[in-house]
Amino acid sequence: MSFEVRAGRVFGFLGPNGAGKTTTIRMIVGITAPDDGQIELFGERISNETQNRIGYLPEERGLYKKMKIVDQLRYFAALKNVSQTEADKRIDFWLERMNLAEWKKKKTTDLSKGMSQKIQFISTVLHNPDLLILDEPFSGLDPVNVEFMISVVAELKAQGKTIIFSTHLMETAERLCDDIILINKSRKVIGGTLREVKGSFGKNLIALRCVGGETVLEDKNLVAKTTTHSDEMELELAVNADAQDLLKRLIENGAAISKFEEIEPSLNDIFIEKVGSI
Amino acid sequence: MRKFLAVVKHEYKKIVLKWTFLIATLLFPLIAAAFAVVPALIFSIKGDATRIIVVDQTGKIAPRIKENLSKETAEAAEKSEDESLENLTASQQEQMKRAAEQLEESFIFVEYNADAKPIEQIKRELNAKITGKELDAYLIVPPDYDAPKANFEFFSRKANDPVAKSTVRNAINGAVRSQRLADANISEDKLKNLSQNVDFSIKKISEEGNEKDSEGTFAAAFIVGLMIYITLLIYGQQIMAAVIEEKETRIAEILFSSAKPFELMMGKLVGVGLAGLTQLAIWIISALALAVVGLANMSAAGMSISLPDITLLTIIYFFIFFLLGFFIYATIYALIGSMVTTVQEGGQFALIPVMVLVVGFYMSFAVIRDPNSSLSFWVSIAPFLAPITMPVRILAETPPFWQIALSIALNGAAIAGLIWLAARVYRVGMLMYGKRATIPEVWKWIRQS
Repeated sequence: MSFEVRAGRVFGFLGPNGAGKTTTIRMIVGITAPDDGQIELFGERISNETQNRIGYLPEERGLYKKMKIVDQLRYFAALKNVSQTEADKRIDFWLERMNLAEWKKKKTTDLSKGMSQKIQFISTVLHNPDLLILDEPFSGLDPVNVEFMISVVAELKAQGKTIIFSTHLMETAERLCDDIILINKSRKVIGGTLREVKGSFGKNLIALRCVGGETVLEDKNLVAKTTTHSDEMELELAVNADAQDLLKRLIENGAAISKFEEIEPSLNDIFIEKVGSI
Repeated sequence: MRKFLAVVKHEYKKIVLKWTFLIATLLFPLIAAAFAVVPALIFSIKGDATRIIVVDQTGKIAPRIKENLSKETAEAAEKSEDESLENLTASQQEQMKRAAEQLEESFIFVEYNADAKPIEQIKRELNAKITGKELDAYLIVPPDYDAPKANFEFFSRKANDPVAKSTVRNAINGAVRSQRLADANISEDKLKNLSQNVDFSIKKISEEGNEKDSEGTFAAAFIVGLMIYITLLIYGQQIMAAVIEEKETRIAEILFSSAKPFELMMGKLVGVGLAGLTQLAIWIISALALAVVGLANMSAAGMSISLPDITLLTIIYFFIFFLLGFFIYATIYALIGSMVTTVQEGGQFALIPVMVLVVGFYMSFAVIRDPNSSLSFWVSIAPFLAPITMPVRILAETPPFWQIALSIALNGAAIAGLIWLAARVYRVGMLMYGKRATIPEVWKWIRQS
């Protein structure tokens, strides 16, 4: 398996359970060493220095049960070489940002699960990392908090952070990611920008509702196959044909178009097809 | 290094800033005191006076026994001891006074007319009295008291009380001895002179040739052994609990992505070790302070009590061996913690180090009894046992320096080996969730890395 993550973008690391996502991530953050091959971050081999520039939110995560929130966060920050004064500033900022300021002196046992999740997220970003690795970051959050966290992630992206986002929830991935890789059984199945992946997935389908233009639709160089539904048609474009060309030709031929839509396969479809077929 | 120090600070504060630390620090002296005082208290509790009948058909022995068990004799004994009180420690005086007091009230002699009744009948009658709770015990003096195999029979409702038993036995022996002497025509006055006890006190010669009070030394050695034993036990368990918490809550994953497992493990050991040192230092400093103040007060009151000579070197040795023990057992506990999944499971495995610790603690008694025996030598250099037995031995009687050095070297090597082992297990074990590591698996981790 080989892939690249481009700086300043959100990279979706997708795959079914047990595909090897967590294992791969553990190698990137330096928890385990690869048997073979190599990993480079920010143009250098992974090391203790690169570790300090990563914020890692593991899928299985927790906090010290009987320790004050602020003390835990200070400890995690210190382990990333953040000075205490700097850490205190950022802890206050982030607790405020997450609306958890009044919980600063409370213990983990007093927090709800969603609150703990947010605290764990704070511990991931406290040292202002250049690369964020989020493994199923939204599991256990209610929809309102999921939306909130998505906005926080988008903010971080806008600040130029690179984000590796691992999940098996395709809807979220589709909303957040610029690039994706799909792996299964520790092999890369498909990868690239979201657009490329969808484009390369082959099914260039178009939903069309129009009156006239039949001659265009019969051109085998443009349309490979036509399926008629109740009031609209589903066209499969011919190889090398372009949807814009088709649209132009239809208009030139005087067709009255009420709907013309490129149907993209959803990540969910791709996931099911690719993973299910192996 | 900065991260290592962060871990050390974190672990140290986690223990020392908790109220349980304060309580434990205050509680140990109480527990130690209880260990020393409770057995004495139990033996000093006066039972109800024993109502006793002495059946003596010869008529010669019974009066003597009564005399030996009676108040006047005890007081006389006390008086004679007063003369030698200066040579005794406070605790010895106390013991003797207590023994005397116990005699005073312990026996009530019940009159009983046994003339010409056969023994069987006497026993039947007296047994009935005992069952009827009119009587607690009776003693039958055989007519042939002077014969080599004369058998005195003592019947009691509480025959198992060791204090009563030995008191009665002493009284009988004394009585028979006196009677024999009387039979040999030795006058009562002469007899008293002849049977006067001598004074006997044990002093121990230290290396420098000074006399030392050996009871103080024994007590100090015992307390030192207990102190190390308890701290190793408590802090070992603390380490294990902390390791299991990080594993159970999956914090390990975050920690391992921030620092090296070895840094994390060593930071934890050092941090908790420093907390243990803090506690020991508090105990020792306060014990020394108390001893100095107490000593000053006592000599002001005209009493002189010799303390075991505790030098600065002894204290340094004490801390060295505590640290050796701490790193041995803490590493074992950390290793166990990283292998298991829950505290309960860890508790089962932890029985192994606990048993070794208990052996070390009991061995320290052998060391106190005879610090120079070959057994004492071997247990005080043996890894795992030495951290308890060597400080005890140093206090009881300081061995030659090469033995101390050998002990430090052997235990240091054991620590190096254990840490090497634990680091390998820790790295993998901490990330293994859901199931306990099997021994073959652990062996594989050790060999692979």
